[in-house]
Amino acid sequence: MKLQKRGQAGTMQSSDLMVVVEPADELVIEIESTVKKQFEHLIRAKLESVLAKHGATAGRISVSDRGALDYAIEARLEAALQRAGGLS
Amino acid sequence: MEEIINVITQLTSGADIAAAKSLIERSGLSFEEGFDELFGIHEAGELIAVGARAGNILKMLAIEPSHQGGSIVGELVTTLVMRGFDAGFDTFFIYTKPQYATTFEAMNFNLLASQEKVVLLEYGNGLKRWLTANSEAVRPGVNGAVVVNCNPFSFGHRYLIESAARQVDNLYVFIVREDRSLFPFDVRFRLVREGVRDISNVILLDTSNYIVSSATFPTYFLKKDDPVARIQMELDVTLFASRIAPFFGITRRFVGTEPCCKLTDGYNDAMRRILPVYGIEFVEIERKQASSGVISASRVRELIGRNELSQLNEYVPASTLAFLLSAEAEPIRKQLQLSRSNP
Repeated sequence: MKLQKRGQAGTMQSSDLMVVVEPADELVIEIESTVKKQFEHLIRAKLESVLAKHGATAGRISVSDRGALDYAIEARLEAALQRAGGLS
Repeated sequence: MEEIINVITQLTSGADIAAAKSLIERSGLSFEEGFDELFGIHEAGELIAVGARAGNILKMLAIEPSHQGGSIVGELVTTLVMRGFDAGFDTFFIYTKPQYATTFEAMNFNLLASQEKVVLLEYGNGLKRWLTANSEAVRPGVNGAVVVNCNPFSFGHRYLIESAARQVDNLYVFIVREDRSLFPFDVRFRLVREGVRDISNVILLDTSNYIVSSATFPTYFLKKDDPVARIQMELDVTLFASRIAPFFGITRRFVGTEPCCKLTDGYNDAMRRILPVYGIEFVEIERKQASSGVISASRVRELIGRNELSQLNEYVPASTLAFLLSAEAEPIRKQLQLSRSNP
């Protein structure tokens, strides 16, 4: 799976997250979160599993999170990937 | 509690803009023209929140006191940032009062610099990305910096850079990235590169959004000396001293003495006060004089405007002169001559 352009999804509201994905040569995941200290590793694991599920091996994935739950992370990332032309 | 759905809309009509102006002014902010987009949220026909975007700067965010503390600020900022993404920006700035810093930090804005009355925050982590992208330019030793616009590169800049480079192991020359000067960035950068090619310990970088930019110091480009400019200068210098200088190991910042421009003189004054607080030495270097007075880029532009090109070799090195006389520079010469005849 290859990203064609920039895609974004989500909001900056509490309990949500904003995801921006864009084409890049390698896979880079950047996480900003109000609960980074406690949950960065879990957010990253969730993002990685969704990316793996869709075979995404390259792209810059920037997330700014305000305490979103797992299913929100999955939904927002998939929406952003779709908008970036990365899902078939 | 009754569920109320607020719809955010772009404000374009005269009546909407007047209502926005009133809300902004009642919130103790000033309404400034020159934004790209203005958004508002209405409830029961009343405007309860507004916010504007000018390029990558979010401004004039105001919410009716009765509606503060909820999700409205997130809704406004989401819309402004999304629109900004669509316009091609990936990092955003906001100036706000210190007591609101935490509101924005809770939305993953990072504090860039603070001053007594105003804080500058960024969304999108651009500073960190810019620094990381330049990490190969980091050198050990005693390092200095100059920040120059070079509109265009003259013997004055050459003298400043040469003198400063002699006093340090490595000299970072930051060239103002912002394209709001007569000479475009790529030309300014190229002329500096050609003009200092023989000085081996000079490292050229651009300032991105982070030194003398429309984010950190917008009034620089308006050449306006007022209290707002003073606040911006202090934020700009604080950001340099607290975040940029430590990254590059810069312990001295060099400037040329400023006999003409009051605004630049004020900026030098802010550096003189703030830099030492962060352990950075502020070094002023006396301006170089030509036989007919101080060498400055504005004098160079003035000579071109008067079409007195034969005098230029007193002010600029051969590399700049070749450009000024080239066919490529014709539109710039025309523009200067035109603005002289129609001031």
